[in-house]
Amino acid sequence: MEESTTIWIEKYRPRTLSDMVGQKDIVSRLQSYLQTKTLPHLLFTGSAGIGKTTAAVALAREFYGDTWQMNFRELNASDERGIDVVRNQIKQFARTTALGGASFKILFLDEADALTPDAQAALRRTMENYAQNCRFILSCNYSSKIIDPIQSRCAIYRFRPLDPEAIAEEIRRIASAEKISVSPDAIDAMVYIAQGDMRKAINALQGAALLSDDISGEMVYAITSNARPDEIAALIDVVLAGDFERAEGVLHELLTGRGIAPNELLTQCYRALVAAPIDRLLKVELISHLGEADFRLSEGATSDIQMEALLARCVLSARMHGALPPGG
Amino acid sequence: MDWTERYRPLHLSDIVGNGAAIRQIADWAREWTKGSRPLILYGKPGTGKTSAAHALARDMQWETIELNASDQRTKSAIERVAGNSSTTASLSGAQRKLIIIDEADNLHGTSDRGGAKAIGDLIRGSFHPIILIANDLFAIPKELKKRCEPVQFKALPARSIVPRLRHICRSEARDCNEEALLAIAESASGDMRAAVNMLYAAAIGSPSLDTRGIATSKKDGRATIFDLVAHLFRARSDEELLRLSYEVADTPDTIIQWVGENTRYILSPTDRNDAYRSISRADEFIGYTFRRQYYTLWRYATALMLIGTARASQGSKLAGRIAPPGRWKVMAGMRRQKAIRTAVLNKFSRRLRMPQQTLRDDFLTPIALMIDACAPSFAREFDLDADELNFFLHDRERSVRITRDSAAVPDLPDTQKSPPSPPEQETISRKKTADSQSTLFDGF
Repeated sequence: MEESTTIWIEKYRPRTLSDMVGQKDIVSRLQSYLQTKTLPHLLFTGSAGIGKTTAAVALAREFYGDTWQMNFRELNASDERGIDVVRNQIKQFARTTALGGASFKILFLDEADALTPDAQAALRRTMENYAQNCRFILSCNYSSKIIDPIQSRCAIYRFRPLDPEAIAEEIRRIASAEKISVSPDAIDAMVYIAQGDMRKAINALQGAALLSDDISGEMVYAITSNARPDEIAALIDVVLAGDFERAEGVLHELLTGRGIAPNELLTQCYRALVAAPIDRLLKVELISHLGEADFRLSEGATSDIQMEALLARCVLSARMHGALPPGG
Repeated sequence: MDWTERYRPLHLSDIVGNGAAIRQIADWAREWTKGSRPLILYGKPGTGKTSAAHALARDMQWETIELNASDQRTKSAIERVAGNSSTTASLSGAQRKLIIIDEADNLHGTSDRGGAKAIGDLIRGSFHPIILIANDLFAIPKELKKRCEPVQFKALPARSIVPRLRHICRSEARDCNEEALLAIAESASGDMRAAVNMLYAAAIGSPSLDTRGIATSKKDGRATIFDLVAHLFRARSDEELLRLSYEVADTPDTIIQWVGENTRYILSPTDRNDAYRSISRADEFIGYTFRRQYYTLWRYATALMLIGTARASQGSKLAGRIAPPGRWKVMAGMRRQKAIRTAVLNKFSRRLRMPQQTLRDDFLTPIALMIDACAPSFAREFDLDADELNFFLHDRERSVRITRDSAAVPDLPDTQKSPPSPPEQETISRKKTADSQSTLFDGF
């Protein structure tokens, strides 16, 4: 029973840089810092779940060995984003000497783009003044929200969304460690759901593993409340064909029959539409309708009504576009 | 030690580029006496401002005291650190101290309360040379700025960065390929520190360095937004466009400005209209996103502006430079105007003991008329600088001339100490400036 209470994204977080899947270029450059025992300030940018925190922690572990927890501090800037966190907590950590014979400490500042510009301004000289004693690793989603003077002080590493092979590799590794079998279509499903975000994939795997030791694609879609890509494609097809009645049927099956949340459905339709090989003018119109429905839902409108209205609007657009009579 | 610190220039003569600025600083230091105006070194990051200040101190054998934004800069904190040392000569005798106030454009509102004023007092009473450092000259409180001498540091051209990088490579015994150094120098866009950091990141752990090693350590600049805009005009798949948009460091509210600006290359009115229809729809979603803090909506904005514009631009060619949003320039100007207006209203409402609202509604026009009639005495009386005077006169040349003249003659024998003067006393200067009267009512 102990097992089921462990969150797999923590249990299987890579401990060393060489365990990381994906981000090969970045990993090899970080490893060279280990060899030379030197480190500049670093700025990691990129979306969620692609290894920024993992890389920082693994780097610190390997850098310091046993004393890593004494010389490494992790702060989340979105919890405390004002100037005082820089002037107090950060400076405090940065100015005290490293332990265990290390020549400097590492401060990892997660979500640094949440720091106010004032706090960032205070940070920049701290980084320089205590550089002997402390190196900074900043992570953020959007590097444009980090002020130029800080970017200028860091080596910048741009993490990319993980590619399907990297996600599949990690899923297989965890599955074999947990002694569960995963079908190829289940792996496809997790890759589809993850969209480059490893955490989403691993969460889907752990969720599905609660249902069975033998995981199928169907189970992955069910546990994550996602429709299968082919179901979404079918929905879009009937809409493009201008058939409101059938589109409504498919919609109800997905929403009530399968229990898929309306905003999840919108997300999936959005993804499918962007990639759909249809005329761009129509595509733009349909995406605009989707966004409108998403907005109204977020404002608290009733999902059944809004989703049906969305279908009606999309069907009309498709008919106008395909020169089908609007009323036929 | 990382290389930006190890290779920080020690002497003024080691600093790369900005020759005129360096000479100005050296001259200032040589001729410094009590009462000399402090310097403001301003310019983009990594152009050598802080290095220059410290190198100067070393060259002159001055001690340094540094105050930066990571210290609290309230009035009392500044007085504690610098106040003492600025008015008392140091124990060793004639020894001077250079007081360096870094990030002077970042006196933080509440935590640094009174900071700007304290620095102002410090400047006035100082027995020691003072240097202020800032990225943005305009963000420095006016009261400080006008007591200082600005020194601009310009972005460094790639050709001046390369030799420095080569020197570092030699000192570190790394092989370096010229092409790689040039690639670094160029992507640093004028920022020496970024260039050295990139070199360090690329060179660490490998004895030689080539262009490949540099790819991952490029400065995260705006370069990719140009790629994105360029792709709008090529036949690309929509997925590719959106993928690019995620790689760009900018958020959709910035991207839309670039996309909008560059619709100028779409020549057909129908196509342009189509493009703007999807851009304006995208803009609605950006508005929703911020109003509701519901960031999911961003994706619709991105998809609409990119796919819509890409479709509309297929018949057109990107026939020129990809331009940054023109609105940015205008907005910077507007912010400036607003700051000037606030400063003016502040001054007059304090002096005339009148609420700003009343001043603005009922008195601005008569005051403008009076100022126009005898600008020099008003400029002196209210301590107006050229920008503030121009707010009333709408004649930049004349404003500059008047403030310059009044600065040259600091105290006229019989300046009236009482509130605004009757026009008669200024007949002479009035005649001098009569040529620019036509602008009197502009803007009111």
